[in-house]
Amino acid sequence: MVKRQLSMVLDLNKCIGCQTCTSACKLMWTNRNGREYMYWNNVETHPGQGYPRNYQNSGGGFDEDGALKIGITPSAEDYGIPWEYNYDQALMTGTDPWLRPNVKPTWGANWDEDEGRGEYPNSYYFYLPRLCNHCANPACLAACSRNAIYKRQEDGIVLIDQERCRGYRYCVTACPYKKVYFNEQISKSEKCIFCYPRIEKGLPTACAKQCVGRIRWIGYRDDEAGPIHLLVEKYKVAIPLHPEFGTQPNVFYVPPMAPPRIDSEGEPTEETRVPLDYLKSLFGEAVVGSLATLKTERAKKQAGTDSELMDTLIGYRHAEMFKLS
Amino acid sequence: MPGLRISVIAAALLAAQPLAAQSLNEGNIKLIEPGDTVPVTKIPDKIFLRTINDPDDIIWMRVPEYRVDMALAPPVHPSVEIRYSEDYPQQNLVFQLARTSDRFYVRLRWADPTKNISTERDKFRDGAAIEFSDNDEYTSYMMGDSPESAVNIWYWHPDDNHVESLAAGGPGSITRLDEQPVTGGSAYTTGSNPDDSEWIVVMSRPLKDEGQYQVSFDRDTIPVAFAIWQGADKQRDGLKLVSADWIIADMKPPAPPAVGN
Repeated sequence: MVKRQLSMVLDLNKCIGCQTCTSACKLMWTNRNGREYMYWNNVETHPGQGYPRNYQNSGGGFDEDGALKIGITPSAEDYGIPWEYNYDQALMTGTDPWLRPNVKPTWGANWDEDEGRGEYPNSYYFYLPRLCNHCANPACLAACSRNAIYKRQEDGIVLIDQERCRGYRYCVTACPYKKVYFNEQISKSEKCIFCYPRIEKGLPTACAKQCVGRIRWIGYRDDEAGPIHLLVEKYKVAIPLHPEFGTQPNVFYVPPMAPPRIDSEGEPTEETRVPLDYLKSLFGEAVVGSLATLKTERAKKQAGTDSELMDTLIGYRHAEMFKLS
Repeated sequence: MPGLRISVIAAALLAAQPLAAQSLNEGNIKLIEPGDTVPVTKIPDKIFLRTINDPDDIIWMRVPEYRVDMALAPPVHPSVEIRYSEDYPQQNLVFQLARTSDRFYVRLRWADPTKNISTERDKFRDGAAIEFSDNDEYTSYMMGDSPESAVNIWYWHPDDNHVESLAAGGPGSITRLDEQPVTGGSAYTTGSNPDDSEWIVVMSRPLKDEGQYQVSFDRDTIPVAFAIWQGADKQRDGLKLVSADWIIADMKPPAPPAVGN
């Protein structure tokens, strides 16, 4: 147990998949020194295989008795091998007529962008931004035989002590979200640090600050005046991804609502285009109540009455989406 | 020029006996049981080692070999436990202990059909280590007990032959020491079939110890233990093959009988 826990809520109804958060994170933390292949923050299309490929079926996490489960260690190809372009040769010196990557790209983060599932007019997909969940019960921490992984008492951010890490990679395997990465250059594991140097200055994470869709809220779980408490505890519309993994994430998602499915006559049905069973496979049974509350509150706003929840989700003022004290 | 003479002899012998893995189970290599005492061979001062950590140096043909049974270490952490297999085969490690007037040497060789030297996202390297008790044999050979009852470990890396000097006072407490006085060398020899391939590793350090937790050789006996890691089987950390309990290295054994008698 930590004294306080910072959390993030992401509204999937507002994510446009622009990858600005991904770029912000990469430019700040992972575009160098062996981290090129890492996306501490990525945005993947669902339904899809995600990043790294097929991570949802890669094991890790805890079983029903709270014991660590074995998992797989993704290969370089599963993450996608980063490539560079021959800009100098193709555009400056003219020594190569073609602009091309230096490795043949076969897979990468969001490789299956917008593929989704279903047939027109009932095809569907949505975007799922992912970062380390800074779990209350981190599998990475439990798996580390070196005690190199810890949760900060003051904010619950999960960090890897680079002095203690010896690169055993149990954490990479144990994280069911595959959000711990192995840096081959230094033989140590690294992960999202929730931009703690920014947090310590009272600033939100780069991914949240740069988000053009204003989909992210940051605050403390125990701050009843803050947005996290309102979305997670009061209205219970923000829910964790794959709660069955047993790690108790502190990143929560407002699940995507969807227009109705169209029947063979071209008429809307009672079913939503994104199948409820699919959302349950990601977010568990809690998604049912969350979607019902969202529907009710949205109707209130449509009827011209007040909705504290909808006013919060709209995010009129970006600065108010972050409550870091 | 004694050094030149030794080098010439070594070159002649190496030419006559091309590098080939020897069977680790040769009957003339004594099997050491836990708790046994093994002499540390004193290399005469007149013998000059051409390269300090040369695994093929002719001198190693003059130092007795011993072998120990190596078995998968008992798991002490859940991450090791879920990967532990009782059926994992045991194997032999052949070791030699020697010293000059100013340096301590250990030479290890073990069968390894695959040479794994790189550390990649999903690839693990081979490894070898010798562990010394800072105190007596009542210190736990499983990584020591406490800072007051610690062990010093020399851990060899196969990619560049650097050897880390580490200290531990219980499982999970391995710490890289500030001073790094241990050096190493290695050779990977391949036989006619993969089972004949083996690693040969030499690690050495000046006898004089500098820095806390560096093993002191200024003792009559030193408890030692061994570990090897098979990278092909994703071994790292406590997932390793270890010798059971301490073996006692005798730093001042009785002089062997004179050659020819």
